[in-house]
Amino acid sequence: MHKRFLMALLLSALPAFAATDNQWFLAESTLTYHVSHPLHQTEGVSHAAKGKGVCHAGQCEFLTAVPVKSFDSGDSNRDLHMLQVTRGGQFPMVVVRTRLPESADASTTIHADLEVQFAGQTVKYSQVSFRQVTQGDEIRISGTIPATLSDFKIDPPSLLALPVKNEIPVRVEMTWQKQK
Amino acid sequence: MSRKTWKVVRCVSVLAVSLLCSTQLEGQIASGMLSGTVTDPSGKAVADAKISVKNVVTSQSAETQTDSVGHYNVPSLTPGDYEVSVSAEGFSTNVSKVTVAAGAKQSMDFVLGGALSLGDLGISQDQAQGSAQDQARLNKRSHMLMLHQRLGLIDTIPLVATVIAGTGAGGKSTSSSDRYLHLALGSVTGDLYFLSAYYAIRAPKMPGEPVRGEIRWHKALAWVHGPGMILTPILGAIAFDEKSKGEKVHGIASLHGPVAIVTAAAYGAAILSVTFKF
Repeated sequence: MHKRFLMALLLSALPAFAATDNQWFLAESTLTYHVSHPLHQTEGVSHAAKGKGVCHAGQCEFLTAVPVKSFDSGDSNRDLHMLQVTRGGQFPMVVVRTRLPESADASTTIHADLEVQFAGQTVKYSQVSFRQVTQGDEIRISGTIPATLSDFKIDPPSLLALPVKNEIPVRVEMTWQKQK
Repeated sequence: MSRKTWKVVRCVSVLAVSLLCSTQLEGQIASGMLSGTVTDPSGKAVADAKISVKNVVTSQSAETQTDSVGHYNVPSLTPGDYEVSVSAEGFSTNVSKVTVAAGAKQSMDFVLGGALSLGDLGISQDQAQGSAQDQARLNKRSHMLMLHQRLGLIDTIPLVATVIAGTGAGGKSTSSSDRYLHLALGSVTGDLYFLSAYYAIRAPKMPGEPVRGEIRWHKALAWVHGPGMILTPILGAIAFDEKSKGEKVHGIASLHGPVAIVTAAAYGAAILSVTFKF
């Protein structure tokens, strides 16, 4: 009698021990690129990123995409020039893929290997560190991707014969929510 | 059976056997093999990935799975074109084409992409795919605006020289050489100006793009220096004529100087508006 009761209890608990897949979606985002020129410091901001994360068997894959033309530097002429220089007419999206262990959501700092597709090039950035703050089913991450123009084979634009700096760091601030 | 008959039977048997052997040999030489490794984007081997190899012409297919180290092997493939499909749980399916040559051991490795695609983010194929035409339009726009910028900057030199020469050409001065120098410099300024303006006006516009930022000032100032660059030489021609006759510049011609100064100032402000952030 006791054995049968225990078996029934164990069997009913099995589903709880089975691995469940988690899904995440990007609720909010602010991506900011920074371009330096001796006469100008320019920042372009986008809030138009879309993202999704799928966790399976302890590994999570995240995909984020943002349209190149969604970046706003405050000057439409400059934005159109940026679009031309980054081949945004032909490659309209910036796509970022990364894989993280599911346990990473417990840390305050994560180090992610990113695969970035931009301007027709695919570049890998290793161990990019991001700060992470967890609030219930929401995770806020922030960090900077150390991108450069040469990584993506972009000719540096110039003003008055002076080119911009090669470094174009991209500041990332994102809020991911667990899908219920 | 007679000896002769036995000889014939023996010969035929030998021929038949040798023909059979050569056909089998040909069959053995003719088939090819496809093998390789399947990994994930990080380079880790993917075990139990399903490999499906389908002949494009005959639609005959063969299937296998990768082993624990991600390796697969598909032997005895008839030479020809094949479509190879690789799938595994948690990854997107990878489809490639390969041509298997007779007797060849073909090697083909696969790196499986992630399970997520842009479609999962609600991004359509049209949104994700750009157009060479759009890029060409952007390139033409940037090229023409670059020419506009360079000509506009070069034009500041004869413009400043014209203004300086103007001080010697007008007022109480009676020197005709100063007037001709001012006229020549003014002509060069005007020619370069209208050439620069041509590139700015004719540069392709991007439909649906609102005008924002410092560029608005640059475009607004064009409504000052543009008409000014037309009016200044007209007034200048009248003034030149009066001076040539030995008269004092009077009437509408006396506006040549002030109009020229306002035009030059607007031109300088237009350049500064896109050079510095105010």
